[in-house]
Amino acid sequence: MMKCEEYKEHLADWHMGRLEPADAAELEQHLNTCADCREALAATGFVLDSINNLQDPEPPIQLKADFRAMLDDFKAKEKKSVFRGNIWSWLLQPRLPLAYGLVILLCIGGAYLLGRSNKQGQEAQERKQAMLLTMLDNPLASERMKAVNYTGDLKEVDKRLIAALLATLNNDPNVNVRLSTLEALAALGDHSEVRTGLIKSITTQDSPIIQLAIADVMLKLQEKGSVGSFRELLKQKGLDDEVRKKVKETITKLI
Amino acid sequence: MLQVKAGDLERMSLLFERHHRALLGFLFHLTQRREASEDMVQTVFYRMLKYRNSFTEGSNFSGWMYHIARNVLKDQKFGSGSKYDPISVHEEKITGGTLADERLEKKQSWQQLYDAMDMLSESDREILILNRVKELNYPEISEIMGISQGAARVRVSRAVEELKKIFVKKGIKRDS
Repeated sequence: MMKCEEYKEHLADWHMGRLEPADAAELEQHLNTCADCREALAATGFVLDSINNLQDPEPPIQLKADFRAMLDDFKAKEKKSVFRGNIWSWLLQPRLPLAYGLVILLCIGGAYLLGRSNKQGQEAQERKQAMLLTMLDNPLASERMKAVNYTGDLKEVDKRLIAALLATLNNDPNVNVRLSTLEALAALGDHSEVRTGLIKSITTQDSPIIQLAIADVMLKLQEKGSVGSFRELLKQKGLDDEVRKKVKETITKLI
Repeated sequence: MLQVKAGDLERMSLLFERHHRALLGFLFHLTQRREASEDMVQTVFYRMLKYRNSFTEGSNFSGWMYHIARNVLKDQKFGSGSKYDPISVHEEKITGGTLADERLEKKQSWQQLYDAMDMLSESDREILILNRVKELNYPEISEIMGISQGAARVRVSRAVEELKKIFVKKGIKRDS
């Protein structure tokens, strides 16, 4: 005969139907005679049911879309590396009589695959950009920061993304996110939309760090069009002394 | 998963369909952070793609997935105080009862349960949350946690006992 303490170790298994039939029968027999263990079993059942009744959160639709983008991106990258691997194995094959044929095949196949992977690369870029746009709306500052930093990986950016980045620069509540956005935009200085957007932003920023950083960016881009906005900024009351000095300097250097 | 390993990467989308909901639940109940959990689901699937060669024939996919999920959890550092209010996850579901009282009651009992679970040790909480995943039995749980089946059995039972004590302490009763 087992003691109550030992029976109690089997209660959870009994409740989950994981006991061997013989052990279950023995426990049940004991339960018939022991009110204490019956009470313990009821409590065990209540604990286990409570946990099992916890509801799983509903996965947002975005989760699936993100997975899709990740999988496609992964497949595209994988294909590229398989293709590279093939070249080497072809080159290392010691079948000289076939060499000419192989070279020709390789050229055709290579051109074909290259064309395909370019197309796939482009699709992946588009998807990535779409994903970044959603990430920029994320309530978590760290996610928005990630999105901003990812823009550096993109080969091309379209007007929508630029507009979203400018909106982030002007409206994001987190100063670190704004600062990173400014850096990302500075790297896109070739786009005229970026330059005009940055100039407009000069007078709307209220954080000294950002104001200083914008002055630096304008110097780097040698953007003479910003002088007007900087003069406007100097008129603002309560402007940080450091910023005032820097802006004056910037104006002199730009003119 | 074996087909994924053999190069049919598209098959992973089927596995995602089948398992992402349970995985999200597992991560969420352990962290109570919804967005971080969603991110981690993505990370787990990425790692499964990347390390697909480490999946061995004959092993249980769910077991492998939760094993990776545990590692992802370990890598994740959470700042304090940013915990997501778990109750609002259920908000949309609590529309059944027409009486405001009824809704309030449900809300409170969920909150109580989460508070009680918070008082458990991390490993007790983990084994109970693993234990509730339908696809996992002792063989899988023992593999995921790197312990023997007997130890897994004992730890589930002890974790239940711990939670029972906490329920008593907090006055959580049946039929209340």
